[in-house]
Amino acid sequence: MTFYQTEINRIREICYSNDKQVQTVIATRRFIDNNFDKEVNLDLLSHIRYTSKFHLLRLFKKYYGITPKQYLTFRRIEASKHYLKKGMSVSEACYCAGFETPSSFSTLFKNRIGLPPVEYQKEQFLQSELKTDSGTCTH
Amino acid sequence: MKVRVISIPVLDQDKALAFYTDKLGFVKKHDIPLGEGGRWLTVVAKEEQEGTEVLLEPSPHGFEPAKTYQKALFDAGIPYTQFNVDDVREEYERLVNLGVTFSVKPTAMGTVKIAVFDDTCGNNIQIVELL
Repeated sequence: MTFYQTEINRIREICYSNDKQVQTVIATRRFIDNNFDKEVNLDLLSHIRYTSKFHLLRLFKKYYGITPKQYLTFRRIEASKHYLKKGMSVSEACYCAGFETPSSFSTLFKNRIGLPPVEYQKEQFLQSELKTDSGTCTH
Repeated sequence: MKVRVISIPVLDQDKALAFYTDKLGFVKKHDIPLGEGGRWLTVVAKEEQEGTEVLLEPSPHGFEPAKTYQKALFDAGIPYTQFNVDDVREEYERLVNLGVTFSVKPTAMGTVKIAVFDDTCGNNIQIVELL
């Protein structure tokens, strides 16, 4: 057994010995993945897992390092990037990803990605055009 | 500052390019001669060709401490770096069928699943799936 394999076993024993807790947070994350475009809040998540919301909040943060709300926002931002790349308008991408208002979406998007959604979309189109151009150029 | 390139030391750039493209499925991005046989050689994920580039760097050559460090990591089974995949088990089976050797078979580690393989260029590489 290598040093790394020994470390894997040691860390698993220290950090992940409570399988019930691990399965609870994994199921919560999967629920968010499958429902990010709908209204998702801590009350709903805790109800689904038959646990108190504060306990679930602590567990999720313990195992993923972020809160369910932070993960939901991350998931929605990733989805909105995908929709913008596909050519959706900012409003459409906002609502399809589960955000409530285009203005708050744009502010959040800029904070996370570093560009407003419109600029991000322009950059994506520019990159794909450059790729197409370089792919078709015969000179 | 932005993260555009990460580097992996490789013992043979030709062999590394073949492994990282033919087996792992990366795509060559840049291949620029740097003299004396060395190249600025990068690959990217097929699905994210504008994403972070992986530089296949011949750093173990000509600098003994780099070679010593790389070998020590390899012998201890420690991954030099890791790549994300959607399904570790599926990727493990695909790579085993291509003749890739794993030192850690698909293993659940709490909220992730991991596996570790030999890139044949002096490194262990870990693949990770978020559960």
